[in-house]
Amino acid sequence: MSERTRTWLFLTAIATLGVVLVLTVSVQPQTESRVSHIGSRIKCPVCQGESIADSPSQMAQDMMSLIEERVAQGATDAEIETEILAAYSGAVLLDPPMSGRTLALWLAPAAVAILGLAVIVRWRRQTPESGVTTDVGRPSSRRRLIGGVVLTVAMVTIVVIAATALQDREGPAAGVANPEAQDLENVSNETLEAVIAANDDHPDINGWRLALAERYYEAGDYRSAFPHYLAVADSGVASAAEAITSLVRLGWMAYDGNEESETALTLFDRALEIDPSSQVALYLKGTVLWCGDRDADAARDMFADLLDDPELPDESRVQIEEDLADLDAGEECT
Amino acid sequence: MMLALFGTAGVLAALTGGGLLAVRGIRVARGGKSDLIGPARLLAAGAIAAMAALEIALTADDFSLSYVANQHSTATPFPFDVATAWAALEGSIVLWGLVLAGFTWMAVRRYRKAPDSLAAGALAVMGGVAVFFFGLILTVSNPFEVCTSALEVGCAQSSPFPWSTVAAPAQGPGPNPLLQNHYLMAVHPPVLYLGYVGMTVPFAYAISALALGVPGPEWIRRSHRSTLVAWSFLTLGIVLGGWWAYEVLSWGGYWAWDPVENASFMPWLAATAFIHSGLVQQRRQMLQAWNFVLVIAVFSLTILGTFLTRSGTINSVHSFTQSAIGPALLGFLVLVLVGSFSLFATRSNLVSTSPRVDSFVSREGSFLANNLLLTVYGFVVLVGTIYPLLLEAFTGDQTAVGEPFFNRLAVPLSFLLLLFMGLGPVLPWRGSPPGQLWARVRAPIALGLAAGVATALWVSPVGWVVLAVTFATYVTSGIVGLLLEQSRARSAKGGQSIWREMRRVVVNDQTFWAGQMSHIGVVVVVVGIAFAANLSHHDEVTLEPGDQTEFAGYSIVYESPFQVREPNRLVRGARVTVLRGDDFVASLEPRANFYGSDTTGVVTPAVLSRPWGDLYLTLRDIDSERVELVLDTSPLIWMIWLGGILTAGGGAWSVSSRRQERALVRQSLIADV
Repeated sequence: MSERTRTWLFLTAIATLGVVLVLTVSVQPQTESRVSHIGSRIKCPVCQGESIADSPSQMAQDMMSLIEERVAQGATDAEIETEILAAYSGAVLLDPPMSGRTLALWLAPAAVAILGLAVIVRWRRQTPESGVTTDVGRPSSRRRLIGGVVLTVAMVTIVVIAATALQDREGPAAGVANPEAQDLENVSNETLEAVIAANDDHPDINGWRLALAERYYEAGDYRSAFPHYLAVADSGVASAAEAITSLVRLGWMAYDGNEESETALTLFDRALEIDPSSQVALYLKGTVLWCGDRDADAARDMFADLLDDPELPDESRVQIEEDLADLDAGEECT
Repeated sequence: MMLALFGTAGVLAALTGGGLLAVRGIRVARGGKSDLIGPARLLAAGAIAAMAALEIALTADDFSLSYVANQHSTATPFPFDVATAWAALEGSIVLWGLVLAGFTWMAVRRYRKAPDSLAAGALAVMGGVAVFFFGLILTVSNPFEVCTSALEVGCAQSSPFPWSTVAAPAQGPGPNPLLQNHYLMAVHPPVLYLGYVGMTVPFAYAISALALGVPGPEWIRRSHRSTLVAWSFLTLGIVLGGWWAYEVLSWGGYWAWDPVENASFMPWLAATAFIHSGLVQQRRQMLQAWNFVLVIAVFSLTILGTFLTRSGTINSVHSFTQSAIGPALLGFLVLVLVGSFSLFATRSNLVSTSPRVDSFVSREGSFLANNLLLTVYGFVVLVGTIYPLLLEAFTGDQTAVGEPFFNRLAVPLSFLLLLFMGLGPVLPWRGSPPGQLWARVRAPIALGLAAGVATALWVSPVGWVVLAVTFATYVTSGIVGLLLEQSRARSAKGGQSIWREMRRVVVNDQTFWAGQMSHIGVVVVVVGIAFAANLSHHDEVTLEPGDQTEFAGYSIVYESPFQVREPNRLVRGARVTVLRGDDFVASLEPRANFYGSDTTGVVTPAVLSRPWGDLYLTLRDIDSERVELVLDTSPLIWMIWLGGILTAGGGAWSVSSRRQERALVRQSLIADV
């Protein structure tokens, strides 16, 4: 067999095999599920550098089942990612985006590759004659200068970075549900529900519950809001403001939703035990007393007291003055 | 107290030895006369004494040392009591010092046979490094502090002065549970340290050559050889680390681009680049300046790695508590970088190499590609590791750079490296006659593709698996083809049978074939990674006693829970029978080990190894009624361990071949004339 035939034989074999290979591989099924794909891109907040897909920790498992749920509900990968990152502080993407602050991360290796390639190509292009160094035995002062400058800059950078890096930092505790640090607006109700369910014994979870309950409340969904307000009110660790808000909302829902004015008044009184000057509690209590046809006089006194409060916001003042005028006129509440 | 005194004396002796070695080494290197053997002996003896004191204290339960009081417990069994010497920061630096003293001792033995100024200068550098590390032991990282205020378990306060009033606790908490959970932990750190610390030797020769202004064949020969020694240990150490993680950490993986793994991988990449480019200098007198840069980079990366892992800057399985050692290591790193590169910059006139590459289609051409790729690879790992630190330091933003980032860049780079790994060995130095490269690679390419097609049709059509098999076959068949070609040529020229000639071919160019052994090791690792990462099965099941579940061709039967009290731990686990069809395969016991007062437990997987891969069972939760098990398979994972050992073995074999080295010296001497 001549060399020529052999070459053609090999070329044909290589081309054929190459085509077959590409064809067989391109029809391969998707091996990784969407859930584990998303999970592998998110750092587990309570672990050491593991993704939530890899980590056996309870929190990571909760987050994975949340992803599973959201995938089943038809959310897109990007939506789920945004939600999870917003919902869990300390959860960050392990796959930094090719934009913004992490762009340099992708550009730096590329720059090194291009630089290296340029050096090699240049090295080759120079003819041996011009390439022979003429300064053998004599230190090049220019080279020294450049080297010195580059080194100094590099060193200063390293020292500054290190000094900063070595300082004790107090980051937010990993994995703590942290409504203030996070932008909850991007988080869907479903995600909030899941996070709350997973962290229901966490002392800081009341902020989350309230945020979610307020959403339901404003949407008129009392049924969904109710258990969260109740949990906050009963948690025993809620702040005064949180407790009052929950009690007042519970009271109003009891009256507005179920016309249980008795329950409502009890709840308002509980709120007033915490802060006897709570304007919301006083106003709503007065409203229930009036509208529930229980004690219009008491309501009138309460409204009058409220108007005496110099800290009452102007809009509320207008509203209460209107209500008081209606009351004095003996009209039905609206 | 006696042991504290003994250990501290050892450290002081080693410190003195290192200091004397540095001072006298410089004197000898500059032409003076002085004894270097004595200081090296003092260094070695001091280091051995320090390590011995620590080990005796650990095995004899001497809780008067605060290190022992806080890291050891009377219940810690052999060999973990011995391994506790490197289970925490202070002890691990003693091991570091001991290994450094050992390498210095080897260099001194060599110096005694053939004393020259290059070796004397190198010894001075090693002495200087020893002073730094033993200085650390004496100050910020002292395992010989005596306990002055005991707790019920462990030590609250300690003093560096051995004569302080001792208050020893009766018991200690024992080492980190993760570290006493598997025998590999006793082996992985020392081997890794042999690799890590061994990189001091090539660095010492390079600095000595730069300082003395004697570039040329001598320093590169010695640096190259000592790099091969350290590189072999480093390779083995990394593989053992992955193996340990797989057997202990119970997530079924062996590598997670954890900063500490990266810290060992970066010097490995740089050293691998140097092993190739150092050859180019030895054969073609090229790339000398680049070789200096690489050797300095390798050493600096080992110090950077130590800083990252020991300063507490990065959270990781490996990080110990934060201590003053961070700033000290950082200062040393800056000193090394500034000192070495300033020296390099002022001597750049000496290190310019004149010969240029004749043709890129040559061995040196492929080595250039290899060096470019390895440099970019190392840079990717470096940037990915320290970027979150930098960003947080400057902006306070928390980011993470993890597996997806590294894999996205490292996987293509690895396959590019394999591409050139198939070309380099079949290309001759200087340049290849037209047609030779094609004649040598066409069969490997065709075979590789054929193997790929066969894999896609009969094993799995997953892209990475097929690609890995294709490249592995291509590289391996290129190497085998070259061996056959050379043996056949010798046989045809009137030699003996082709098989006998094959042996001769290998013996005649042992370093080359040792390198090919490492190459084959690498492709074996690549195939193992591709299979284990892409073809594994995963499931989570909850079973009650007597329940059976089908998984990846096995039937898994949950028999019963069990609980055993061992001296140092409480073991709680599940007895599981594994069947294939109706045939009994094995009894497995995935478990959780509870050490001391630890209540979370160290979950330890049960691994059933078979030629086609492992069955990996992890306990997630267990009570008297049911067990939650995580089931995984790791196809062909043993290829990763085997390939790693082959790769390291290639390095060791290369070092042991002195014959070739002498031939190389002759060649470079002729080339110099």
